[in-house]
This record gives sequence, C-alpha cells and structure tokens, in this order.
Amino acid sequence: MNLAACVLLYGLVVAVLGPPLLARASRRGATPRLGIAAWSAAALSVVGSWVLAGGLVAAEVWRARDFTEQLVRGCAATVGVALTGRYGAAAQTGVVLLAVLVLSAGVLGVRFGSSLLRARRDSHRHSDAARVLGRHEETTADVVVLDAPERVAYCVAGRPATIVVTRGALAALDDAQLEAVLAHERAHLAGRHHLLVVISRALAVAMPRLRLFTTGAAEIARLVEMCADDAAAHRHGGQTVAGALLALAGASALPAPALGATATGVVERVERLLDPARRARATASQLAMLVSVVLLLVGPALGTILLELGAAMCDMAV
Amino acid sequence: MAVRGFGELEAVVMARLWAGGGTATVREVFEQLRVEREIAYTTVQSTMDNLFRKGWVVRERAGRAYRYQTTASRAEYHAGLMRDALGGGDDSAAVLTHFVGQMSEEESVRLRELLDGRTDRGPR
Repeated sequence: MNLAACVLLYGLVVAVLGPPLLARASRRGATPRLGIAAWSAAALSVVGSWVLAGGLVAAEVWRARDFTEQLVRGCAATVGVALTGRYGAAAQTGVVLLAVLVLSAGVLGVRFGSSLLRARRDSHRHSDAARVLGRHEETTADVVVLDAPERVAYCVAGRPATIVVTRGALAALDDAQLEAVLAHERAHLAGRHHLLVVISRALAVAMPRLRLFTTGAAEIARLVEMCADDAAAHRHGGQTVAGALLALAGASALPAPALGATATGVVERVERLLDPARRARATASQLAMLVSVVLLLVGPALGTILLELGAAMCDMAV
Repeated sequence: MAVRGFGELEAVVMARLWAGGGTATVREVFEQLRVEREIAYTTVQSTMDNLFRKGWVVRERAGRAYRYQTTASRAEYHAGLMRDALGGGDDSAAVLTHFVGQMSEEESVRLRELLDGRTDRGPR
C-alpha cells in the first residue's frame, strides 16, 4: 500500500514539477532531440508510475484474500466481502482504490485510444485524397503538388506517407530551398515524428488538465520542427532552410488561428537556423535534460526496488 | 481489413470517373484503361471495390454488374483537402506537420524585421 502511494506520489511530483523545469531546459532548442527525449521520458514515467501503482494495489488485494475461497465464491462475492472489511482495512481500501483506478484508467484509455485512431484514420484519408487530387512529380515519387495558390508544404502519415506542396509554395521557393523543404519533411517521415506528435496529442486530449501532457504536446510539436530543420540544414545549409521558411511565411501563409495565437516558433526557428552556434552549443541545460531523461526512466524502477529492500529489512528487524 | 494504401491505379480510376461525369461500370472503366495500358478486368474490379470501401464511390446494381458513382466532385474533394491543409478543417483529426505553422501577427512582424535585417547586410 505504502509502495503504491509512493509511486503515485512520484507520478504526481513529476507531473507537477516536470513541465516548468523541462520547458525551461528545452526552450532554446539547442538539442531538440534531447528535449523530445526528456518530454517523452517524463510522460512515459508518469503514465508508467500510474500503471505500476495500479499493479501494486491489485497485488495487495490479491495477497490479502484467500485464493481458493475466491475461486469458489466468485469474484463479485469476494469483492463484496473485502468491502465489508473482513480481510482487513488494507484490502478494503485496496478494493475501493482499485475500482477507482480501473475506472479512471478505462476512461482515460478510451479517450486516448479513440484520439489515436481518429488521428490515424483522418491522416490516412488526407494522404489518400492528396494522392488522388495532386499532381505527381516525375523526379520525386513521394511528393504531390496541389493546385492551390496558398503557400503550404507539409507531410502526412499514411500508406504511403505523402509530402504535399502547393503550387503557390513551388512558385515561392527556388530550387535549393525546395530541396531543403523536402529534406525537412523527409526528416519528419524518417524520424517518425508524426507518431510522437499523435501520441503526445492524444495524451493531451485524454488529460487536458495536466500541463505535463498539454505543454508536452506543444513542446514536442515545436521540437520535432527544429529536429527536421537540423536535418535539412545539415544537407542544404541553415541559410537555405531559413530562406525557405521566410519564403513560405509571407502574407498568404497559414492564417493565424481563430482562438488566440499559438506560438509555433517560426521566428525562433529562423533565428536558430541563422546562428549555428545556437544549435551546437553545449549548455548546462542539455546536461540537466540528459540527467532528467535517465532519472525519469530509471527513477521509478529504482525507487520501487529500494522501497522493497527497505520493507524487507524492516520485516527482518521485526 | 485488407485496406491498402492509395495506389496509383485508384487515382487513375477516380480521374476516369470524374472525367466521365462521375458514373461508370467496371466494364466501362476497363475498356477505357485497356487502350493505354495492359490491365486485367479483375484488377479494375478490385480497385473499384477498394474505392467503394474507402467511401470514394457508391454503387448500385445495374443488371448483373454494379454501376459506380463518385460521392463528391473533384472540386468538392479539393476544397475539403485545402480546408484541412490550411488548418480550417475542425472535423478532421489529420496530423499534418507543416513546414511553416500558423503564425501570430507578432511573429509575422518579427519575421519581417528579421528578413529586412538580413537583406540589409547582404546575402550570405
């Protein structure tokens, strides 16, 4: 019971303290990959701690009641008996806690899963539609050109995944810039960034009150862009990528969202691309992020082991 | 559920259907396609079956065969696609990773300043 509470508390602490600390460390985007790892590790760690806590409570309930009797009486009866407190207060609270956990886990799971499936279905549909309606370039099989004046370039997951460029975007980019844009989008596809984005977004949809997931989704979306920028800059130069960003960010770019302006960091990306030092500089924040990634991933397991050891030693002392 | 990705053939068949007024049988599409490419009747049939399952066409019995009908015009599909692409399609959960995302007014202004600053200094 104590262990489950500790693990839950750990999850709570990470969920509360994680976002401001991680946001500060990953803000400058020196190494976006590390930032993505840190946010993912935090999310994984929190979700993992909940699952672990659930498992521990379940194990507690399992241990506290008589196994053979349970088989005879059936599950419902045993739960009923446990609720009356005959197996002790631990089992009683355990059953209630378990029920609450299972119920909320179920609700969250359904929200998370349906969000994932919807994103997948709609993305594949969009990819299909782009392939039917777009014009294929002979030289680049994975790219389709849409006949539209707006300046837009993006990629969308599907079978196969598709890179979409509008006629307006083609007109605005020179050859080198177009290559840089395509390299950027290909880096998204090669790095499976859409998976990261979709999963983090689904977590944010399932738990919209937790900043770890809402801020995390926004940060991951921002950081994967920088990641792809770096890949493109590596091959075509930061100047070219920045030039492409500026060329597509003109007046006929995407309109600002209706509900409040979300900063997607276009300015930041341009500044970053024009100043290679900002990309390469090794900073204290990077080290902090690296340490936090390791701690987040190893922490819960290590804590559990230490607590179990402690408990065993206490038993021996008694 | 053996729904494979959108093949080139599916795009070709949709183009044929739209060009021909939005309705055709498998036989009619097959007769058109065989003029320009080597293709089996059953290939066209399964392609149109896929299109039906994916909701691009509806069909109704016409004698022994099906008559297929597109569910929307090319222009309608194009409008929907662009709505999604420009971020106006709230009904779609498609995840599009844009090269340049949505920008606030502030960002546009700062970006313009950045651009002006650079051109003053000359390229590269």
